[in-house]
Amino acid sequence: MNNLTILVVDDDPVIRKLLEQRLIKENYEVLLAEDGYVGNDTLSKNHIDVVLTDLMMPGDIGGIEVLEYAKGLERNIEVILITAHSSVDTAVEAMKKGAADYLEKPINFTELFLRLEKIANMRSLLRSAEDLRQAMDITESTAAETIQNLEVLAGSLQSTVDSIETILTNDELVADDKVVDALDILQAIN
Amino acid sequence: MLKITPVELKTIAQYIHDISGIYLDQSKSYLFETRLSSIAEELGCTSYQALYDKARRDPGKIIERQIIDAISTNETLFFRDNGPFELLKHKILPEVIDLRAPSSPRLKTNVKIWSAASSTGQELYSVAMTIQDLLGSQMSNFNFKLLGTDISDNVVKQASYGKYNKFEIERGLPRPTLQKHFTLFGDSWKVKDELRAMVNFRKLNLMLPFAGLGKFDIILCRNVAIYFTLADRKKLFNKLADSLADDGYLIIGSTESLTGICPRFVPKRHLRAIFYQKKN
Repeated sequence: MNNLTILVVDDDPVIRKLLEQRLIKENYEVLLAEDGYVGNDTLSKNHIDVVLTDLMMPGDIGGIEVLEYAKGLERNIEVILITAHSSVDTAVEAMKKGAADYLEKPINFTELFLRLEKIANMRSLLRSAEDLRQAMDITESTAAETIQNLEVLAGSLQSTVDSIETILTNDELVADDKVVDALDILQAIN
Repeated sequence: MLKITPVELKTIAQYIHDISGIYLDQSKSYLFETRLSSIAEELGCTSYQALYDKARRDPGKIIERQIIDAISTNETLFFRDNGPFELLKHKILPEVIDLRAPSSPRLKTNVKIWSAASSTGQELYSVAMTIQDLLGSQMSNFNFKLLGTDISDNVVKQASYGKYNKFEIERGLPRPTLQKHFTLFGDSWKVKDELRAMVNFRKLNLMLPFAGLGKFDIILCRNVAIYFTLADRKKLFNKLADSLADDGYLIIGSTESLTGICPRFVPKRHLRAIFYQKKN
């Protein structure tokens, strides 16, 4: 049930093909882009869950720019960078900018699938937390309405009881008047 | 996960109540296990009795603090249940500002607000944002003192730092509000200095006396008393009444009630929310 849609951005056609085949075999939906321009364009037009992008690509748009573009879309897209060993420092910088992870070349597929599974698990946890929160919000607002109505009613009944008590304990009134005044207050409620 | 015995349940539940006022249902043993087993294991305790003994003997009370951090619920979000913030903006703040207007225009209006269980700070920062949005350029005529307190050291630290990750930010904060009051800080967001300067956070156990806090114009005590026994709730709201100015305002959680808990407060309704004031 790997329902993540993955965008692979890499200028190397061999790596693109390889990633596509392996990911499809694991039941992921896969989209391909041959450079950063096409990558960002694909991101803007499709629902993508995870971007798997090469860090170094020819042209102005490299992996970091794809990362920044994906994060700027505010759609909760995770980005995994693929780096040569020599650019690990840049990859760590990228993590600080919000990349989910990075993988060194040559790609270890077991490792890649583990990372993707982690992302899928995280998403489903977030989803159930969101569902729970929504259920709680509905319960809370329904309960709040009932409780607040009762609270106001209890408050007004209490003040009625208080004023009846004041009348009944008023030594300046004769018994009959006390009863009449108290009944007046009671009738005013209904 | 380390299993808890019925005898240990009783001991630990009593201990947690003593140190925090929090009442945990003893029929829910998983609650104790999921929250305390990692502390026990880290300390090398093979039973909850051993954890209890160790915590009691710990002179620095570090274990006690860890236990409080683990069992307290810190569920909170920015502008949680919009009602109270609408209430503050349209009713309570304008009234308090009128009531506290200084005798001379050269003096500032002093207003004191307390979030009694501030958790990681979202509630108090939401109040601060509401105030800034309401007053805008007039802020300089006011002296707002916002205090947030919580029993857990960890959350007090987090609140003071004022940094929130994207999940905390995504919950409840509209984009324009976020951009106005926060700055991007790596993958997280930090509250701006003007907002941070309005608030103060410190540790406080609501079961103990509120020494030196003074009187407040507005108190928010939302969704914390629900973790206390009825007797403790009565004590708490009685102490809150003592800490509230005679014409002050109390806001409690939207599903909470003070009926039968504190007769010193009267409920008042404004639009779809309720607030409390002291009986004359």
